Amino acid sequence: MSDANALLEFEDVHQSYGEEKVLRGIDFEMERGDVEVVIGPSGSGKSTMLRCVNRLTEIDSGTIYLDGDPVTTPETDVNALRRRVGMVFQDFNLFAHRTALGNVTLGLREVLGHSKEEARAEAMSQLERVGLANQADSYPAELSGGQKQRVGIARALAMDPELMLFDEPTSALDPELIGEVLRVMRDLADDGMTMLCVTHEMGFAQEAASTISFLDEGSVVERGPPEQLFEAPEHERTGEFLERLTSLHGGQHG
Amino acid sequence: MSPALAPDVVLAAAAGNVDPGVVLQAGDWEFVYRNRRFLLYGAGVTVLLTLTSVVLGLLAGLPAGIVEVYGSGPVAAAVNRAGVLLRGTPLLVILAFTFFVNPINVGAFEAATLGLGLRSAAYQSQIFRGAIQSVGQGQMEAARSVGMSQFEAIRHVVVPQALRRSIPGFQNEFTIVLKDTSVAFFIGLAELLTRGFNLFTQPGQSTSVLEVILAVSAVYFVLTVLTNQGLELLGRRFAIPGTGGER
Repeated sequence: MSDANALLEFEDVHQSYGEEKVLRGIDFEMERGDVEVVIGPSGSGKSTMLRCVNRLTEIDSGTIYLDGDPVTTPETDVNALRRRVGMVFQDFNLFAHRTALGNVTLGLREVLGHSKEEARAEAMSQLERVGLANQADSYPAELSGGQKQRVGIARALAMDPELMLFDEPTSALDPELIGEVLRVMRDLADDGMTMLCVTHEMGFAQEAASTISFLDEGSVVERGPPEQLFEAPEHERTGEFLERLTSLHGGQHG
Repeated sequence: MSPALAPDVVLAAAAGNVDPGVVLQAGDWEFVYRNRRFLLYGAGVTVLLTLTSVVLGLLAGLPAGIVEVYGSGPVAAAVNRAGVLLRGTPLLVILAFTFFVNPINVGAFEAATLGLGLRSAAYQSQIFRGAIQSVGQGQMEAARSVGMSQFEAIRHVVVPQALRRSIPGFQNEFTIVLKDTSVAFFIGLAELLTRGFNLFTQPGQSTSVLEVILAVSAVYFVLTVLTNQGLELLGRRFAIPGTGGER
């Protein structure tokens, strides 16, 4: 049964690619305004978990609810679901043939049916929000990685989503470019956006996350506020993993 | 299809324009020169046939390429088989089907367009298939993630990029079609090569075979170079800034 307060809820979600089981019974819920950081070793199912929310990956069994609506049923309008959920990709996936502005306006024009002027105004305000109004006419190939990712965030925000998914948004960036993306994410969190983030940026997790989930072998091993996981993890695996992560990805990106 | 395109009619008309006595007694290069309009008319037919065939190939080949990447079920299987069949059949045989065996009675120009166009579609579908596959799954996922349908994503995100990547392959295909219009000789269409043949088979002109063929091949060469340069410009015009394609 879906929890009335939860914006996003996983109920015993299983997923596999062929023989390979990826998610082995995920139970999880987050409320509106929560910033959830998902961590876990490579192959633990973090990205898959995210991709199941907007059905870029289909689940085998279980149910996912968005604001009480089951989104994993055959009747679900997938395109309508995706309008409510923004996604930011590890590899940016900006539309290579369109300018920064064109990347943001495309969904507004084609999906939301905005007029050209409306779409442009909305897109400009989103680019401003991520600090890139001055790069509106640049093509992706002319932008740095950090700028690309900020355009990716603006593109998702323009659809006015209820939930934002971040799939390792800084993993493909040079270290000196990570900060600008995390700053935008932190601003979003401060604005009250509900965010589900797969990231190994422990500085961001400690500062912005309301909850951290530690995923291993397809299930949530431990979940709690950052202080609890960092200072007194219940499970040994959590402690070991966090220790290794913090030594690699401490708070240096500020 | 103008009836004047049938070779015998055209030849008769041309013979009326040029004083046959002078032409037939001229030196071999002068013979070519005196009949330059006759040949250029054939070149016009060649250009027109190239355009109609390439456009038919594009109109059928682009959807076929899209279906081969994203399609499934009987439609995709049928498209795939049609392509294999067309690519596995000699062009002359295809033309025999579209002209001699065609149950609908069409002129040589239409039959040539159909044959060359269908064969080109079979090859263009592979150019577009490769280009679409090279665009990368991430572009499709990004488009779907903002709520676009698969069709909208293909139309607004994948195809615009795939078309740009198709230009080098399309350049090849275009010039192949251009040169292969000469096989319409087989069904008697009065294109450039047919007209050349009509010239050197005039009584007493057997010595001008070399000159006529050289002139004809020079025209093909010039047309091919111009086509390549035109498409090169198109590629630069639509190159995505920052990717190194524009100059």
